[in-house]
Amino acid sequence: MSTTNTETILRDTAERQFASELAALARIDDREKPPRWKLSPWAVVTYLMGGKLKDGTVISPKYVGNQRLIEIAVATLLTDRALLLLGVPGTAKSWVSEHLAAAISGDSTLLVQGTAGTPEEAIRYGWNYAQLLAKGPSRDAVVPSPVMRGMTEGKIVRVEELTRVPSDVQDTLITILSEKTLPIPELNSEVRAVKGFNIIATANDRDKGVNELSSALKRRFNTVVLPVPDSMDEEVDIVQRRVVQLGKALELPSETPAMEEIRRVVTVFRELREGKTADGKSKLKQPSSTLSTAEAISVITSGIALSAHFGDGTLKAGDVASGMIGAIIKDPVQDRIVMLEYLETVVKERDGWKDLYRACKDVM
Amino acid sequence: MVVRAFERLDPDAVLIEGPPDAQDVLMLAGHKAMKPPVALLVYEPERPSEAAYYPFATFSPEWQSIRWGLERQREVRFIDLPRSLRTPADESEALTAAPPTEPHDSINDAPSEDPSSPNAVPRDPLDQLAKSAGFSDGEAWWGRLIEEYRGASGEDNPIGMFDSIREAMAAARAELGDLRRDPGEPSREAHMRRAIRTAVKEGFERIAVVCGAWHAPVLSADALGQFSAKADNDLIKGLSKRKTAATWIPWTYDRLALDSGYGAGIASPGWYEHLWVHHDKLAERWLTKVARLMRKGDLDASPASVIESVRLAESLAALRGRSIAGLDELGEATLSILCHGNPMPMRMIERKLLVGTKLGEVPDDVPTVPLQRDLAALQKSLRMKVSADSEILDLDQRKQMDIARSHLLHRLSILNIPWGTLEDDQAQRKSTFHEVWKLEWKPEFAVAIMEAARWGNTVEEAAGAFVADQAKSAGTLQDLTQLLRHVMLAELPGAIQTLVRRIQELSALAADVGNLMDALTPLAQVLRYGNVRKTDTSLIEPVVLGLFARICAGLRPACGSLDDDAAALMRLRIDAAQVALSNLSRDDLLGAWRVELRKVGDDDIHGLVAGRAWRHLLDSGSSPEEAATRLSLALSRGNDPAKASAWLEGFLGGSGMVLVHDARLLGIVDEWVTSLPRDVFEQVCPIARRTFATFEKPERRQIGEKIARHGQLGASTAATIADYDAPRGSLVEPVLRLILGEEYP
Repeated sequence: MSTTNTETILRDTAERQFASELAALARIDDREKPPRWKLSPWAVVTYLMGGKLKDGTVISPKYVGNQRLIEIAVATLLTDRALLLLGVPGTAKSWVSEHLAAAISGDSTLLVQGTAGTPEEAIRYGWNYAQLLAKGPSRDAVVPSPVMRGMTEGKIVRVEELTRVPSDVQDTLITILSEKTLPIPELNSEVRAVKGFNIIATANDRDKGVNELSSALKRRFNTVVLPVPDSMDEEVDIVQRRVVQLGKALELPSETPAMEEIRRVVTVFRELREGKTADGKSKLKQPSSTLSTAEAISVITSGIALSAHFGDGTLKAGDVASGMIGAIIKDPVQDRIVMLEYLETVVKERDGWKDLYRACKDVM
Repeated sequence: MVVRAFERLDPDAVLIEGPPDAQDVLMLAGHKAMKPPVALLVYEPERPSEAAYYPFATFSPEWQSIRWGLERQREVRFIDLPRSLRTPADESEALTAAPPTEPHDSINDAPSEDPSSPNAVPRDPLDQLAKSAGFSDGEAWWGRLIEEYRGASGEDNPIGMFDSIREAMAAARAELGDLRRDPGEPSREAHMRRAIRTAVKEGFERIAVVCGAWHAPVLSADALGQFSAKADNDLIKGLSKRKTAATWIPWTYDRLALDSGYGAGIASPGWYEHLWVHHDKLAERWLTKVARLMRKGDLDASPASVIESVRLAESLAALRGRSIAGLDELGEATLSILCHGNPMPMRMIERKLLVGTKLGEVPDDVPTVPLQRDLAALQKSLRMKVSADSEILDLDQRKQMDIARSHLLHRLSILNIPWGTLEDDQAQRKSTFHEVWKLEWKPEFAVAIMEAARWGNTVEEAAGAFVADQAKSAGTLQDLTQLLRHVMLAELPGAIQTLVRRIQELSALAADVGNLMDALTPLAQVLRYGNVRKTDTSLIEPVVLGLFARICAGLRPACGSLDDDAAALMRLRIDAAQVALSNLSRDDLLGAWRVELRKVGDDDIHGLVAGRAWRHLLDSGSSPEEAATRLSLALSRGNDPAKASAWLEGFLGGSGMVLVHDARLLGIVDEWVTSLPRDVFEQVCPIARRTFATFEKPERRQIGEKIARHGQLGASTAATIADYDAPRGSLVEPVLRLILGEEYP
């Protein structure tokens, strides 16, 4: 995450951060592009997955994982269905949707953030009341939503956390997705989507208190489930990469974190998440927490902060233990039993893990 | 494709890479009643477990070739190295190296090919070719290039296609050299060449050879010239010959599939059949099939979604640069659209769709399966008469013969062949070594045996495999421990291992400590007495330990907030666990157990359980003073009387001996009862009575006598020892010696 030219901005949009990569891809991209796409589907996949181009430009991988999933996502956006990215928290759903929008439309800012209080206006349109009172209902008085803008400009629109949006508001998307039109009854007119418009929604299937999509709406989406990372090495790689990036952004005073410690945290998270030990030999109970990769990243980051400010600067078992226990034990009764059992049957026996065992026991 | 090539070439002899041992039954392939999937089973009559299966599906090129040849009355022969000449060393390899399942066809003027099972070897040449062409594995590449290819040249020139495959394979062989060679391969190829030469000598002019593509380069007309006939003969000469027999058995797509453990299987018989049956609109037909299956399973699958899936699959294929959508794309489209990203519905239909449930049929006149032979042999050697009349068989398990019979009957009933039913175990209770069976043979057992034959070739092997399968599907610990009991009786040590592993898995997930405790007892028994039955206890020990650790971790929370019924159950479970652990007599376990019991005893939980915990602590060596303090605390006036009496019931439940012998405890109980106010006493009396009613009559009398001699309560057990009359005691000594054995001190 480069912070060179926009030093004061905490987080820049994907298309600005990776402008050079996008430009390089556009330069060599000679494949057929769908209408209003900035890049061909192949180039979009390359942008997400990373690689080396013919002219030597190195594209950094944005999504570490199964290329097939990204291919399905891109292929979906080629059809007239919208894309729904589903997954537990911390599986890079929003990250992928942002980069897809940036690569396809060159603009990832058309964003509707879904919350329990998202109003219909956020998806359809609102009114500029001063205009409305002064001139009566007219096109000028209409305040377009990101969706409406995406429709007129032929761009990808992102809807984050779709399942948190109240059901009646969700359903306003049905007409937009099936008829590709947004009626404005007050003006007796409508906005018709131009080619290139599509919606990427993200939703999380572990969240409590969500509003399930109606089946009418569900049918308008193709679902791609983003899984937690497949292999140990992949996950360690993701964690390490992000920790380094975050460390730079948050200006944490630390050298590269110890791979050993990252590996241990990732191992613990993976084992508990999958309900069995890494060698596949014994089964484990699973805690109620999700234990996503994102959480592993934050455990390591906070461990680094702890060791830097209060310790000797090297990441030790004690620094990660509290963060880890906090991430794992979400339910004080059930998860505690799970964690105790895990500590006693797995961590205690493992070679070289004595320090982690003791540190965890201290915290609990 | 193979048939197209046959039509063009019109060979007068068809030579197939298959076991010549089965030449006799080959003709049966043309039988009307023969319906694939079927398998050729080649086995040694003396050792039926040494068998090899050669499965065929409708779409197998070998099957197509056999049928084509038989229908036109051409010479059809198997030419691979006979099983009878194989050394036991290539036995394991033979299973994987004989893959007539793959829908890869081929043919040529002299020889031809078919990629031999791509998963048999680590460095598979097909995989390498596929990788260089950008496919994930050899199967996918072959499927794409050959099976799914619908281009003009394939239609026009199937033989040309086979030529190019052979060239590719020749290059692969040259490059990989000996890396991929199985030890048995040279002799197999030599045998095949010899068979081809024989056919040539007999005057056949157009010979088609159907074999794995890998072998093609050394079987071609050119190759026949390069390899000398003598060298080939020499290769085969040294091999010792064994007796083999062959038969056809019904097969299922399920067993054809890869994940059933058959090495040379294929991932999706269903897909290949689809390719075989349909030639156009593949994606449309496939996805419609998916949708119909989903609807049958009460899942939504609208035609609109099917249309959308076809589109997605095709745009995916385009994105990946493939000419048509393959199984991968179709699967991904299905998951994303028809299943809304949820893999569960997919899994529901997966087996039916990809694998298919088709069961083959074989004509009645094929020879019998090995399991049938094994059973007949056992019946003969154990002298058990097969009869449709029911008869009673009383087995004395101290006799070698009878115990073997018992094992056979138990194994058969595990296999759902209920030849014998165990009579009511009243008789057994009197003497543990007797087992009374009622034997009755029913004709439908023949079918059951055929069914069971897929589990193995001997009764023992089949029962073992069946139990292993059952263990996989069993959902609860009780089912498994129940199964374990059967397996112990049937003496299936191999299956015990599987079971135990499964118990370990389930116990790790079990949230209910009660279930874990239920599972502990039988396992501890196996561990304690397993050696007598020569079971490998080293395998069970870690499971028992793991189970025990989990029980310890969860015992205290599990004892919290119990109602009367649950507490009674928990009391029984704690008792059982106590017995199991005492039997194991491991001090470390007992120590840990006592720590947990103490926690349970000290906790504010249902009195019955807490009392019981203290009773066990007392019995296993806690100081009586401590126990007395606990009793007094539990029964003190500040406590709810109902709870106090429940504690008492738990503490005393089962035996009053502790009261008879420990005067101090009796004193505490006595003091407690007498100190109760009248109204509270009335409330508690029934519960106290219920506890005391469970004691043996003499115990109660003794307690009463002790209470009556209240003044002497203080007199300790030492007094009873002082009463010991040495001269009278020594009179009994010789008799005791006789009973206990001379070496007893």
